[in-house]
Amino acid sequence: MAVSGDARPAPRPRTRGAVYPALFRHARAPALALGRVLLSLGIVGAVWAAVSASGVFPDIIFPSPGSVWDAARELYDDRLLLPDLGISMGRAATGFALGAGLGVGVGLLTGRTRVFRALFNPFLTLLRPIPAIALVPVAIVWFGIGEGSKYFVIAYTVFLTVWFNTHNGMQYVPEVYIRASRSLGASRTREFCAVVVPAAAPHIVAGIRLGVALAFLSLVAAELTGASSGLGYRLQEARQYIRTDRMFAILIELGLVGALIDLVVGAVARRIVHWEGV
Amino acid sequence: MTAARGHVAIEGVEIRFGAGRRTTVALASTDMVLRPGTFTALVGPSGCGKSTLLNAVGGFTAPTAGRIVIDGVEVAGPDPEVGVVFQAYGLFPWFTALGNVKFALKRLDLGRAELDKRALHCLAEVGLGGHAHHFPAQLSGGMRQRVAIARTLAGEPKVLLMDEPFGALDAQTRFSMHELLLRVWGVHGATVLFVTHDVDEALLLADTVHVMSAGPGRVIRSYTVDVPRPRSAARFDAALVDIRAEILDLLRPPPIPADAA
Repeated sequence: MAVSGDARPAPRPRTRGAVYPALFRHARAPALALGRVLLSLGIVGAVWAAVSASGVFPDIIFPSPGSVWDAARELYDDRLLLPDLGISMGRAATGFALGAGLGVGVGLLTGRTRVFRALFNPFLTLLRPIPAIALVPVAIVWFGIGEGSKYFVIAYTVFLTVWFNTHNGMQYVPEVYIRASRSLGASRTREFCAVVVPAAAPHIVAGIRLGVALAFLSLVAAELTGASSGLGYRLQEARQYIRTDRMFAILIELGLVGALIDLVVGAVARRIVHWEGV
Repeated sequence: MTAARGHVAIEGVEIRFGAGRRTTVALASTDMVLRPGTFTALVGPSGCGKSTLLNAVGGFTAPTAGRIVIDGVEVAGPDPEVGVVFQAYGLFPWFTALGNVKFALKRLDLGRAELDKRALHCLAEVGLGGHAHHFPAQLSGGMRQRVAIARTLAGEPKVLLMDEPFGALDAQTRFSMHELLLRVWGVHGATVLFVTHDVDEALLLADTVHVMSAGPGRVIRSYTVDVPRPRSAARFDAALVDIRAEILDLLRPPPIPADAA
């Protein structure tokens, strides 16, 4: 924290670091950032092409960039690439919305109310170490292999993460804000809405951002074991036909979409908690 | 005395922290009266209970024994009549300077236009009318404390508590903050209780200086400073020079012995 005299000339520009998060974090100019990303991907692609061209591994085990491209074209032409993506994203979004909404709500309650804390925390703390994938069998028994079990697994994972972060954020609201609020005559309702929640917002937003990533992870876990559509299912199907090229195409699709979503969520998060100089 | 605004009586206030054998006495039984419209400074080393006493007057810490009475009413918790300027980070970083001041005015139930006008006026009073829409992170340390002062005074408190408000500022900024504080105090005229570890700061500002000492925290001597303001640290008159020397002597810690070789 720079505490200096009054002579600081110009206010810090608001947009600094707000537009090019995550992928481009270390670069100053967008063009330069894009250049670095392309360079990094180019090197990986070149190594990939060289290894597959060397003939050490058969193409069926380690497909060349060319055959993965062909597989992607094939999936696209069969009208599988985008519809699968749409189905998967729909599931992730629904599960995420359920889990994040519930997580923020319960976190706000347990973070500030002793009764709810005593009621929920021991149980939720026990749930936290259980990985989402371990819940898939239970989810299938409860909800069948339809959409319900997917929503359940994704919402469960997102909920625990978002709850945990929200709860912690609410716990560590600096005492000075509460004191300031009370000595300025704010009601408890206004203290909660205008002081406690904004003070916890950086944690809540961090939890939500983590939740987005986890929704993606648990989505694929849920689809791998009991689905008849979606990217996870398509991966599983490719395994049955030993279509490594298709698997690579789908994995790359997952990676690209995931990075893009994280980029957008990161940028939105920075806007929301703009006062947190990240 | 009954009609006065901001009469603070500290009656046999003792503050202990912890329970059982781990109890520490943060402040031994203390009596003090702050007359309406006066400026009182508490100086002393860390651990002397000066901030503890201020927090008790602010209603943040309940006294273990004794009571604090403001205009005939015993302090039971934070109250908008008792404004507080904190050492640092007291501003809400998610609000602009204007938003911070408006937060203090909300309880007055003003119309939207009147709210904005009053808040802007408060910022103009501390010379920050042009920075109303800046966030605290965009302001310097001195500007932030000016916003904090504007926010606290916006609620027209009758008692103003300041807990080392300029402790984190450099010497030049601190100097101009003293002038600003005396100016706005002249306008608002609250009863001020000012905590500092800087003897010069206390002597520049206060009518009464209480010197405190640690282990347990207590007032060891009190001085009345009747030199007219504005005072200058560079040209303290003879009376102030003597008081200053005495206080520094009182506060001088025991020498630190060298480790045995």
